[in-house]
Amino acid sequence: MATTLTPKDFATATPSWWCAGCGDFGVLAALKQACAELGLEPHKVAFISGIGCSGKISGYLHSYAFHGVHGRALPTATAVKLANTDLTVIVAGGDGDGYAIGAGHFIHAVRRNPDMTYIVMDNQTYGLTKGQSSPTSMLGYKAGPHPQGNPDAPINGLAIALAAGATFIARAFSSEPKQMAEMIKEAVRHPGFGIVEVLSPCVTFNKVNTYKWFKENVYHLDDLPGYDVRDRVRAFATLTQPGKIPLGIFYREIRPTLEELMLGTGRPPIASLPIETVDPGLAALQDAYA
Amino acid sequence: MIVNNIQVLFGGQAGDGSLTTGDLIALVFKRMGLEVYTFKDFPSRIRGGHTNYVIRAGEQPHYGLGDMVDAMVAFDLECVEKHIAEMRPGGFVIFDNSQEKLTDAARRPDVYVYDVPLADIAKKQLGLELVRNTISLGVLGELIGMDKEIVRGLVTKQYERKGEKVVAQNIGAIEAGERYVREHFDRPSGYALRARPDGDRLLMMGNDAIGYGALAAGCRFMAGYPITPATDILEWMAKHAPRYGGTVVQAEDELAAINMTIGAAYAGVRAMTATSGPGQALMTEGIGLAGVLETPIVVVECARAGPSTGMPTKTEQSNLNHVIFAGHGEIPRVVIAPGTVEESFYLTVAAFNLAEKYQVPVFLLTEQALCQSKETLPRLELGAVTVDRGKLVRNGGVTFGEYKRFAFTEDGVSLRTVPGVEGGMHLAPGSEHNDAGVITEDAANRARMMDKRMRKLDAMRADLPRPSLFGEPEAGMAFIAFGANRGPVSEVQDRLRSVGVASKFLQLRTLWPFPEGDVRAFVAGAEHVFVVENNISGQLERLIRAVTGPVPSLHGVRKYNGRPFRPAEILDAVTRRMATLPAGVAAR
Ligand SMILES: Cc1ncc(C[n+]2csc(CCOP(=O)(O)OP(=O)(O)O)c2C)c(N)n1
Ligand code: SF4
Ligand SMILES: [Mg+2]
Repeated sequence: MATTLTPKDFATATPSWWCAGCGDFGVLAALKQACAELGLEPHKVAFISGIGCSGKISGYLHSYAFHGVHGRALPTATAVKLANTDLTVIVAGGDGDGYAIGAGHFIHAVRRNPDMTYIVMDNQTYGLTKGQSSPTSMLGYKAGPHPQGNPDAPINGLAIALAAGATFIARAFSSEPKQMAEMIKEAVRHPGFGIVEVLSPCVTFNKVNTYKWFKENVYHLDDLPGYDVRDRVRAFATLTQPGKIPLGIFYREIRPTLEELMLGTGRPPIASLPIETVDPGLAALQDAYA
Repeated sequence: MIVNNIQVLFGGQAGDGSLTTGDLIALVFKRMGLEVYTFKDFPSRIRGGHTNYVIRAGEQPHYGLGDMVDAMVAFDLECVEKHIAEMRPGGFVIFDNSQEKLTDAARRPDVYVYDVPLADIAKKQLGLELVRNTISLGVLGELIGMDKEIVRGLVTKQYERKGEKVVAQNIGAIEAGERYVREHFDRPSGYALRARPDGDRLLMMGNDAIGYGALAAGCRFMAGYPITPATDILEWMAKHAPRYGGTVVQAEDELAAINMTIGAAYAGVRAMTATSGPGQALMTEGIGLAGVLETPIVVVECARAGPSTGMPTKTEQSNLNHVIFAGHGEIPRVVIAPGTVEESFYLTVAAFNLAEKYQVPVFLLTEQALCQSKETLPRLELGAVTVDRGKLVRNGGVTFGEYKRFAFTEDGVSLRTVPGVEGGMHLAPGSEHNDAGVITEDAANRARMMDKRMRKLDAMRADLPRPSLFGEPEAGMAFIAFGANRGPVSEVQDRLRSVGVASKFLQLRTLWPFPEGDVRAFVAGAEHVFVVENNISGQLERLIRAVTGPVPSLHGVRKYNGRPFRPAEILDAVTRRMATLPAGVAAR
């Protein structure tokens, strides 16, 4: 890219849908910032989102944006990447989208390690369907189907990701868009599957995990002396430590990506293959049946 | 003496290698210039349980099973007990009497039994139990006059990979089988083969023809989750696609498989998935997404007996409604169904072109009795394959701000850019959207957008595979069927013709959008219309009635026990309706 980009180059004309104060605004701002600073060309970005308030984000990033069905953004994105390795593939969706209905795909996307970035916009509730408990809601969270309080223990998406073989794991906070943008940039640059979980408060429904609550309950990995992102055991201990919520990059590791393993390197993207004329070599395949 | 017309049933316990030998028998018949159809009747388990492989050979293609078995190769008593009733009077059984003796109940006076201690010969004479099946091939070959050179050539080729020793062992087994017959039996089998020129033909399984058709049509991405009887396609593609730059993903479930297929297609690659009933059910939401995003995908449905897990290895046509109607909301979709292996290839190619030209999901509907069956066919013509990518934009030429992905057009199809194309950026949302892809619930836009999408169903009419019409167009007796019933219905027509009864048969190849005009015209002059299908509720019949209105002489002929029709069963249904039919037309 010859000209320098600004976040505005990634804006769309569509007015955003979120409630004033929603954490998702911070995610969008950080994402646009990251895309601009990475010098991505909008037509080479495939941005795939889940369904939920969070999933609306695909309408607001100038790119090839795809807003599919609930929970299935990761398999869609995996195939987009395999189809065209020249693309920068970014996925975003909610905690319900990724950790409930899409939980199966989440684990498998992680273990496949396609080169893409996955932003989980975690508000510890189902925003779009009006505030029910989500897989990350705290025990006792009182919501629609759980008037007596949520009886299901919350899950730890990042620890699950680590166990499933994630190669880049980070957590950001919506009120810290600068740090979030840095983490997203790192995740995009990371050659493999990068997950960035973002604490993104739902101001309308989640009256427990508010901005104030988060500010009191987070800390930064940078403040931990001697933290080493290559130390898998330490990463797991840190992620699963009860108490305050750590922010930062927990873990990184380089291992072959799905595309490298399946397609090899140095080959043209599948999407660019000239399939209009039938490969005459195909005729020989019939000999096995003669 | 019956010449060049035989149906062999090769049966024993699952996992005993009988499939390999069954394949060999089929190939021998093919090399001897005969037309072949094979049918696998195996249990849904890996080891144990009765399994059989039926190989039918004749001078004319049949595309289906005959009424009766001529020759049974039985490795155990259970096989004879289960199938003795299916034997043709005058037919014969080769029975492995090493372990069991044939009971009286399993005998028939009009069926001769050749007792051959196959396992004993294998173990004691050849020192290798494994070659029992190969010995039986020698026995059968000697009894019906298989060409010895062809048999030896094929056995050699089959075992070449395993080394010279294994080849020699199997050739020895063939010889031992042949010798046993010469030394022990004077009685001729009543069957003979006379080699004809093989010509440039193939012996291919339906699923392989689909894989091959996909590759020829430019499909370079497949995602699937293993399920009988569709897995063959996934495995075929995984073996061959990478060589042509493609890739195949074994997905974690069918939800992933369908969304991956959509993802790859969205990114500009011809993509497909293949599944069967239960997987099809899981894919339903994704199909709707493809419809509303106007993303071209091909979904191969290899139907098996449902509901739920049903009978995974058995055949049925009970999800016709499912592929046509499943889904919330309404989308344009195409359902096409081949009736033979050869057609499986050409219709797969057609499926990809329809999908991309009209930007819709296309189902290729097949079924166990076709997709896992082998048939002889002429070489497939790659020259006949054209790839029509429709309004795909791969190299720019669109301007951001002007370009509208879902532009309202006359045929309902809009220019389609894919990620990477400059100027073509847009949102592709499963939510209702305007022509630019912006989500909106505006009432006027909604109606207009629905019209736009559904208009494609009319625009595509001329490109849809037409039904095939067989027999005499003016005949009063008429048949309508699709899929694997192509074979048995055609055979019924032959038999009727041989006793002077004219008939006509409309084999539907497009099932959706329903070929209303063709069906109405076909039904118009007929006195009796028999709708032949493998389900209990008459799914095809209902589709027909919906476009014809009341037809007094429309009769359902239905079978739903998991097995394909035998011609006699259809004839039975016909004779029950038509008292005037000449005698002797039924069982053959
Ligand atoms: C298959 C399916 N089931 C249910 C829904 C309804 N639904 C829409 S969004 C949503 C939950 C969203 O929660 P989350 O992913 O956390 O996103 P948020 O709105 O909180 O950002 C549900 C249940 C749906 N759209 N599709
Ligand atoms: S409901 Fe909650 S998550 Fe949804 S937009 Fe409003 S604040 Fe954001
Ligand atoms: Mg949420």
